Amino acid sequence: MKTGKITRAALFAALAMLTTSGLFAQTTTPPPQTFSATVYLDYSFWATNNGYITNTDPKVNANPMTNKFAFRRAYFTYENKISADLKFRFRFDADNTGNLTSTSGGKDDKLRPFMKHLYLDWAGLLPNSSLKIGMTETLAFKIAEDRWGLRSVAKTLVDGYNDITGAGVRVSSADIGVNLTGAISKELRYGAMVMNGEGYSHPELNKYKKFGGYLQVVPVPGLNVWGYAEYEKLSDKPEAAKMYKVDVYFDMIANLNITGEWFTYNSDQKYNKIQQDDGSGNFVTINKHFNSGGYSIFGTYKIIPDTLQVFARYDGYQPDSTNGAKNLSLIIAGADWTPIQSSWKIQPHVWFYNYKSSAKKSDVIVNVTFFLSF
Amino acid sequence: MFYAKFKKWIAGAELALAVVFAPILIAQGKKMIQVKGSDTMVNLVQILAEEYMAKNPKAAPIAVLGGGSGTGITALINGTCDIANHSRDFSTKEFNQAWERGVKPRVFAIAVDGLSIIVNEKNPLNQLAMDQVGAIYRGDVKNWRAVGGPAMPISLYGRQSNSGTYAFLQEHVLKNKNYSPDVKEMNGSAQIVEGVIADAAAIGYVGVGYVIDQATGKPLKGLKILNISKDEKSPAASPLDKDAVETGKYPIARALWQSTNGKPGAEAATFLQFELGPEGQKIVEREGFYSIGAKYIEANMKNFK
Repeated sequence: MKTGKITRAALFAALAMLTTSGLFAQTTTPPPQTFSATVYLDYSFWATNNGYITNTDPKVNANPMTNKFAFRRAYFTYENKISADLKFRFRFDADNTGNLTSTSGGKDDKLRPFMKHLYLDWAGLLPNSSLKIGMTETLAFKIAEDRWGLRSVAKTLVDGYNDITGAGVRVSSADIGVNLTGAISKELRYGAMVMNGEGYSHPELNKYKKFGGYLQVVPVPGLNVWGYAEYEKLSDKPEAAKMYKVDVYFDMIANLNITGEWFTYNSDQKYNKIQQDDGSGNFVTINKHFNSGGYSIFGTYKIIPDTLQVFARYDGYQPDSTNGAKNLSLIIAGADWTPIQSSWKIQPHVWFYNYKSSAKKSDVIVNVTFFLSF
Repeated sequence: MFYAKFKKWIAGAELALAVVFAPILIAQGKKMIQVKGSDTMVNLVQILAEEYMAKNPKAAPIAVLGGGSGTGITALINGTCDIANHSRDFSTKEFNQAWERGVKPRVFAIAVDGLSIIVNEKNPLNQLAMDQVGAIYRGDVKNWRAVGGPAMPISLYGRQSNSGTYAFLQEHVLKNKNYSPDVKEMNGSAQIVEGVIADAAAIGYVGVGYVIDQATGKPLKGLKILNISKDEKSPAASPLDKDAVETGKYPIARALWQSTNGKPGAEAATFLQFELGPEGQKIVEREGFYSIGAKYIEANMKNFK
């Protein structure tokens, strides 16, 4: 109850500040408006035929395949730079409903557009800051995604495994609310957000808000450390979800950058029911809570700036801290080639999944992504 | 079981190595010095590069691209150019980004520019104060009559927001206020000059190197370059007066900069030394800009160490 009141007060104060600050009364430059589209088109080839994902045995997989073309993502974005410190973004995203594990073959696995970003970005609240209001990218993913820079190849660690593991990590790449990022000095930057917590797929479903924030320390040029935490109360019961994340970004050698990310996620609504001896020889069913987490190390090396870079990544993912058999790892390696101009790229890359459980065989998938942006 | 899994690991690793290293083997291009940024500087640096390459045929080739100061600074931060041309300082945001990305800019002044306020030659006005220029570009003054000119609406020509000249004028003349929504945003300085020559009610701003006809050494036909004063009580000076630009009597003078990431590499350093040396500075003067003075020379030399 108290949290809800504080949230409402904070939102009201933010809105009041905006409407009384002259923000909407400023003289503006002609709005430079841009429309852009970005598309990721994959050709994927299964280099294994008995893996967890790539099983081509009709007895195991009702709709086996060995290769496919797929539009993984298509973005359509309208941006309007209203003035030097005020921007507006409207972005549609079309997501492939048939991900790697979905081979339903149904007639309705269409690319469907949905709202991904819809926000106003104001740079005038504090010096060297950016305040976004609306449906914005979340701080949870943005740090790693900006460092990885290859969203066309793969999602980053926290975002990438919900589908394949069913880990139920309740973190989204976009959400409705307010976020503020900025720099206090070149060595210290910050970010804070308050959001619904439902992501971009649902409207608000409860009275609680999600809070998150980070501090970024850059002690010397090219060495960055972020500490991120987020908290969301989930219900009237003492139930909450928490995530802690650390990112380290190293960019001190010409053309080479390396990033490491670690996170752990805990939700009071996530547990396994297990039988446990109550001490008197009787077995009772209890709820045993677990964490999800993982780490990722990735890097890129520019061979020819603006034209050719290579990249590699290793992820270790733990969907359930109480069951190590669910762990998996993923190696991604490839190249990012811009043969003519930056509006299109060819990105060959190999994915190699390995599973802790001996029941799940490894998968090797060879992809060529055509990145189009115009 | 273990052997089968091990074989798959090996196969995966082989594939990964092939994908990663094949492009490295393909990429065996000759090193080229990439210079990007300021449109005010693009012609000047292009000519400097051509004359440098003509004198040093074995030196690394140089590619010079415009796009605006912001584009050049961003390219330097992203590691996609060797030298950034910029006609304004790094902003705090750009400086912070550079720090985050491990980029340590070394900044060299290669020329001095008297930022020129130009009107059509039919305009009888000869001078303006900085405040009046600011009021015109903010849109506070909309008719030439208000500043002593003829009774006709002012037609504003300017650059896009990625231009260093746009940012410089906004900071130093518009006092960090926004430009009028009526400014026609042109792609480059040459387009502003063309627009002002064709429009009797026009006002524009460009680097001094864009206002002189190289053949005659005089202002381009159809163009008038206004004298500018610090305020309405001070004497006005022309951007064509080198002494006034150097002494600050011409109030909207600025340095034109080139930046490298850290100490410039051997090939970039050789080119910079040519630009800053007697031959390069002679070209700077020939192209209508001004050579750098003692204070800049000293700072430049420190940046080579």
